[in-house]
Amino acid sequence: MGENVVFAVLWVVFSVLGEIGDRVIIRHNPMYYIVSNQGQLALQAFNFLLVVLTPVFVFVVLFLVFTMVRFTTKRGEMPPANKRFAIDNKAFVLVWVGGSIALNLLFFLHPTTSAMEQMFALDQPAANTHDLVVDVTARQWQWIFSYPQYGLTQTLTPNGQNLLELPVNVPVKFVLRSYDPYHTYDQYADVIHSFWVPAFGIKEDVIPGETRYEYLTPTAITSYAVNPMVRVQCAEVCGPGHPWMESPLAVVSDQQFAQWVKAQKALANG
Amino acid sequence: MAHAMTVPESGHAPRPRKAPMPPVLRAFLWAAIGFLLLNTFVIAVDPFRGHPFVTGPSVVFGWVGAAIGWLLGIGLYDAVLLPLMGFPTRWQERQQGWRRYWEFATDHKVIGLQYMMFAVGGFLIAGGIAMLMRYELMTPYLTIFHYPSNYLTAVGIHGTLMMFSFATVFMIGGLGNYFVPLMIGARETVLSKLSGIGVWLVPVGILTVLFSPLLGEWSTGWRGYEPLAGQDANGILFYYLGVLALTMSSLIVALNLVATVMFRRAPGLTWGRLPLFVWGQVTVNLLMLIWFPEIQTTFVMALLDKVVPLNFFTATGSPLTYLMLFWLFGHPEVYIIAVPAFAIWNEIIPVMAQKSLFGRQWAVIGLVFVMMLSGLVWAHHMFTNLRNSEILPFSFFTEMISIPTGFAYMSAIGTLWKSKVRLNTPMLWILMSMFNFLIGGLTGVFLADPIVNLQLHDTFWVVGHFHYTIIGSMVFSGFGAIYYWLPKLSGRTFNETWGKTLAIITFLAFNLTFSQFFLLGLHGMNRWVPAYPAYLQPMNFEVSIFAFILGAAFLGNILYIGYCWRNGAQAGENPWGAKTPEWFTSSPAPRYNFPVQPEIVGSLYLYGEGTKVPVVTTALGELAATSRATQDPQFDWHDYAPDGGGVTS
Amino acid sequence: MSKVPNEPPIESPEPQQPEWSRRQFLVGTAAIGVAGAVTLFGRQSLVNAARSVFGSPVSSGTVHLYAYDYYYIPNYMTWRVGDRMEVIFQNQSHTHWHEWTMGRHVNEAYFQAFGNLPADAWQEDFWDGVPVTLSDPYGIDNFVPNQAIVTYVGPKAAYNIQSGGDFSPTLKPGGSLHLSFTVPNKPGLWDFGCFVQQYIHYRTGMRGQVMILPA
Ligand code: HEM
Ligand SMILES: [Cu+2]
Ligand SMILES: [Cu+2]
Ligand SMILES: [Cu+2]
Repeated sequence: MGENVVFAVLWVVFSVLGEIGDRVIIRHNPMYYIVSNQGQLALQAFNFLLVVLTPVFVFVVLFLVFTMVRFTTKRGEMPPANKRFAIDNKAFVLVWVGGSIALNLLFFLHPTTSAMEQMFALDQPAANTHDLVVDVTARQWQWIFSYPQYGLTQTLTPNGQNLLELPVNVPVKFVLRSYDPYHTYDQYADVIHSFWVPAFGIKEDVIPGETRYEYLTPTAITSYAVNPMVRVQCAEVCGPGHPWMESPLAVVSDQQFAQWVKAQKALANG
Repeated sequence: MAHAMTVPESGHAPRPRKAPMPPVLRAFLWAAIGFLLLNTFVIAVDPFRGHPFVTGPSVVFGWVGAAIGWLLGIGLYDAVLLPLMGFPTRWQERQQGWRRYWEFATDHKVIGLQYMMFAVGGFLIAGGIAMLMRYELMTPYLTIFHYPSNYLTAVGIHGTLMMFSFATVFMIGGLGNYFVPLMIGARETVLSKLSGIGVWLVPVGILTVLFSPLLGEWSTGWRGYEPLAGQDANGILFYYLGVLALTMSSLIVALNLVATVMFRRAPGLTWGRLPLFVWGQVTVNLLMLIWFPEIQTTFVMALLDKVVPLNFFTATGSPLTYLMLFWLFGHPEVYIIAVPAFAIWNEIIPVMAQKSLFGRQWAVIGLVFVMMLSGLVWAHHMFTNLRNSEILPFSFFTEMISIPTGFAYMSAIGTLWKSKVRLNTPMLWILMSMFNFLIGGLTGVFLADPIVNLQLHDTFWVVGHFHYTIIGSMVFSGFGAIYYWLPKLSGRTFNETWGKTLAIITFLAFNLTFSQFFLLGLHGMNRWVPAYPAYLQPMNFEVSIFAFILGAAFLGNILYIGYCWRNGAQAGENPWGAKTPEWFTSSPAPRYNFPVQPEIVGSLYLYGEGTKVPVVTTALGELAATSRATQDPQFDWHDYAPDGGGVTS
Repeated sequence: MSKVPNEPPIESPEPQQPEWSRRQFLVGTAAIGVAGAVTLFGRQSLVNAARSVFGSPVSSGTVHLYAYDYYYIPNYMTWRVGDRMEVIFQNQSHTHWHEWTMGRHVNEAYFQAFGNLPADAWQEDFWDGVPVTLSDPYGIDNFVPNQAIVTYVGPKAAYNIQSGGDFSPTLKPGGSLHLSFTVPNKPGLWDFGCFVQQYIHYRTGMRGQVMILPA
C-alpha cells in the first residue's frame, strides 16, 4: 500500500512540475518560429500532444527511477524467494489497456482528425477563389516561382537567384510541379522534391508527373534576414545538389508586394 | 575443386595432402573467378562496342558469379554439393577451436556466433562511417567529404549496413540462432546446413554495400527512392545486390527458426510455455517470411529499371509505387528490430527480480498484435506525398500500434513493482532501453499526427526518433542480452563496476547526442545535407562531440565484452538463477546442446514459494524422445545426432 | 541442477589432413583488407602519384571537352605554353545548361546552404588578356568574354554575348562551341568548372584541372 501511495503522490507532483515546464516551453514556441495559419495548426497539435504526453512520460520515467531506488536488492544479494507473486492484476491491466486505448482514440480524434479537417477545409477550392496563385516548379536543383495572375514567369533577386515573395495575410495557393521547364520533350525527367518552408510549418512533396496543391496564409511580415527558418528548402533528397536546393523568401506588406511585382515586371521586360 | 573427384577408391587410406587453403581465402579466390567468368561473358556478348570492361549489366551478372563462387568456396561445394551428388568429400565438421568460426558449420551455436561476429563487423564499419558523417556536420560547408554525393553515399551505406547487416542480423541471426534452439530444449535446428550456408551471405552483403562507391556514388540513402535511384551511378546496383544478399541470409534464418520452433520443441514445451524471447523471434520471423520476399522483388524490379532499363518506377511509370513497396516492407522491418528487444526485457526482468512475470499472456499478445498491425501502417512514412484522403486511416493504425507496444511496458512494470531486483549490468541496460524506447515511442506519437508530421517529416526530428527507437530498443537491449548471456556464451562473466560504468557512459553519451536531434529538427535542419545554413552550426558541433564519445563508448563495450569472453572470471552454471532451458546444460553448451533431451514440466516464468524447477534433464527412461536410449543399453548420448547419422557407425 | 559430463568427444581426434594455415589466413585476409581500403580511399592518391611519376600526356591540337550532368570528360588535361589548341566544348546533357570557366581560387567556405556567394567566382580568371577565336557556335545560351581578347567567326548574334562574371561560354543541352587559342604563358595548375545554377554544378563536382607546362 505504502509504495502505491508514495508513487501516486510523486507522479502527481512531477506531472504538475512537468506541466509547468510545458507552459514555459509553449510560451517559447517549441517549433521556434511559425508564421502561417497552417503552421499554427501544427503548433497547436504539437502543444496538445506535449501536454497530454507529459504525465505518461513522467509515469514511466518515475517508475524506472522508483525501481532503481526502492525495488532493488543490495549489491551481490539474491532477491528473497519466499513469496508467491501476483502474475495478474485485473485492475491494473484494465486501467493500462483501457487507458492506452482511450488515449490513442483521443489523439486520433484530436488533434489528428480535427486538425486534418481544418486543413482540408482550408484546402477546399471554394474557400480559395481569391487566392494568390504561385506556380512552384521544382527542378534539379532550383525552385522556380511564377505568378500567373501577374504575368511573372520567373522571379529573381538582382543577382539572379530565384526568389519567393508573398503578401502578408493573403491566402496563397501553391501549385507544385516537379519537371524541367527547359527541357520540354520529356515532361517527367525530374525526381521527387519536397517544398518546405520551415517557418510555415508544412512541407509537401513535389512528384514528377503529378500536380499538387498547398494552401496557406502567411501571418507575419518577415524574411530570411529576420529568421533563417523563413526559407524555401528542399526536404526530400534529390541528388547531390539537394542541400543547396533553397531559395530566400520574404513576406511583405500589400504595398511592398505591389511594388515588387512592378519591379519584377520591369526586370523581366529588360 | 576438381581433385576432390579423383579421391582414391574407398578402402585406400587417402594419401597425405598438402594443407588446404583457408576456406575464406578460397572463397575470395572463387568469388574472383566467378566474377571474371560471368562479367567477361556478358561483355563478350554485349552488342555495344567500346564500353568499359565493367558495365551495369555485366557487373550484375559478375556479382552473381562472385556470390556463387564465394558460397561454393566457403563450403557449399565440399559440404553440401559433393555429398548431395554422392561424391566422397573431405569435409568434416570441426568440433573445436577457433577455426570452426571461419568455415562452414552446421552447429547453430557456431552459426549464431558467426552472425554476431559479422553483425558486429557491420556495426563497426557503419558506426565508423557515422563518425565521419558527424565530423562533416560539425561545419556548415563541406570538409572531409568533397562533394555531397560522397556524403550521401556515406549516409546510404551507414543506414543500409546498420539496418540490414547489423540490427536484423544481430538480433535474429545471432541471438536467435544461438538461443532459440537452446531455449526450446532442441538439440539441433531443422535446416542446419542451409543455415550454415546462409550466414556466409552476410559478409557478401556487407562487402558489396561497402564497396558500392567503386561503381560510382549513389545519393538515395538507405531507402533507394525512385526516380532518383534511376539517375544514380551504378553504385546503386551494389546497394540492391548487397541488400538482396543480406535479406536472403535473414530469410534463411527465419525459415530455419520457425521450422525449429514448430518441430523441435522439447516435450512439455507447449506454445503456452514458450519462452518470451522465442515468441519474439517467431513473430518477427513470420514478419520476415512475409515481407522480405516483397522487398527483394521490389529491389529486383528497381535493378531491372536501372540496367535494362525498364520503367516500373521512373516518372513515366510510378515513383510512388516504389515508395509504397519500400515502406510496405520498411515499417515491418523496424518492428523486426524492435520486437525481439521487447521480448528480451521481459526475459531478463523476472530472472533478475526472481519474481514471476506479470501478465505473461499480455506480453505475448502485445508482440503478436504489433506484428499484425505493423503491416497496416506503412504509409505514415508518406504523409507528405500521399493523397490527402489516405492520410487518416494510416494515422489511425499508427496511433493504435502504440497500444500493443505498451503491453511490453505493462508486463515489465507489473513484474518490477514491489520486487527486489538485482540492479546489475544487464538489468541496467534493460532499464535504459526502456527509457530510450519510451522517448522513441513518444516522439513517434508526434510523428503519427499528420499535421505535425508535415512539419517534422524529413527533418532531424525523424532521425532522432528512429535512432532512439532502434538504438534504444535493439542496441541497448542487445548489450543487456549479451551481458546477461555472457556466462552462457563463454562460461565467463564480467566485472559489475566495469559493466555498469560503461553502460552509464553509453547512456549519457547516447542521450546527449540524440536528444538534440529533436531540437535540430524543430529548428529547421533537414536530412541528407552535408551543408546547411550557418545558424544550425553551434548545436551540430556540440552534437558531434557527444557522438564521438558515444562511438567510443560503443567500442569500449565491445572490447570489454571481448576481453571478458576470454579472460573474465569463471561463471557459475546458472549465475542468475534463471528457469529457461538454456541454463540447464553446461556453459557453453555442448555440440548437441543437452546431454539428454530435456523435458519441460512447468512454467518458465514462475518464481517464489511452491514453484518448481521447470526443466528436467535426468529422467532418461521416461522420455519417448530418447527411446533409443531405453531400448539400447549401449546407447551413449554422444552418438545422438538429430539426423540419426551418428548412431550406427 | 547437476553438471553433466558433456563435453562431446572429438569425433576424429586426429585430423586426417593438415589444418589450414593460420598464418595464411591472417596474412591473406589482411592483404585483401588493405587492397580493399586502397581501392576505396586511395584511388585519387594513386592517380596523383602516377601522374607525378609518369606525367600525363600533353594535349595539343584539337581536344574535346564534354560536359555531362555534373562532370566533365576529361577532368584533367596537360597543356604546354605556346601550343596551338582548338578545344571543342560540347554539352552532352539532355536537360541542363553547362558552362566552362577557368581560373584559380574559390572560397569553399561559402558553400554552405545560404552562403554568401561571391559575385565573381574565380579570384583570377585564366582568360584575362588571352586572345581566343570562337567558331561553330551551336546552341549557345550566352557567352561572357570578360577580359579575354575575342575574335568571333560568323555572325555575332549566334554567340548571345553578355557581360558580368568570368569568361564563360554557356551551352544549352546539346550545344557546342570551338575555342582556338595559343596557350598563354601562365604555367602552373589551373582549375576549371561550371558555375551554373548558383554554383551547384561546381559544388557537386563539375570541375577539373589543367596543368600548364612551361614551353
Ligand atoms: C553510433 C552512433 C550513430 C550515429 C552518431 C548516427 C548518426 C547518423 C546520422 C548523422 C545520420 C544521417 C542523417 C542525415 O543526414 O540524413 C544517420 C542516418 C541513419 N542511421 Fe545512424 N547513427 C548511429 C547509429 C545508428 C544505428 C545503430 C542504426 C541502426 C541500427 C542507425 C541507422 C540509421 C539509418 C537507417 C539512417 C538513415 C539513413 C538514410 O537517411 O538513408 N544509425 N545516422
Ligand atoms: Cu529537391
Ligand atoms: Cu532535395
Ligand atoms: Cu554545369
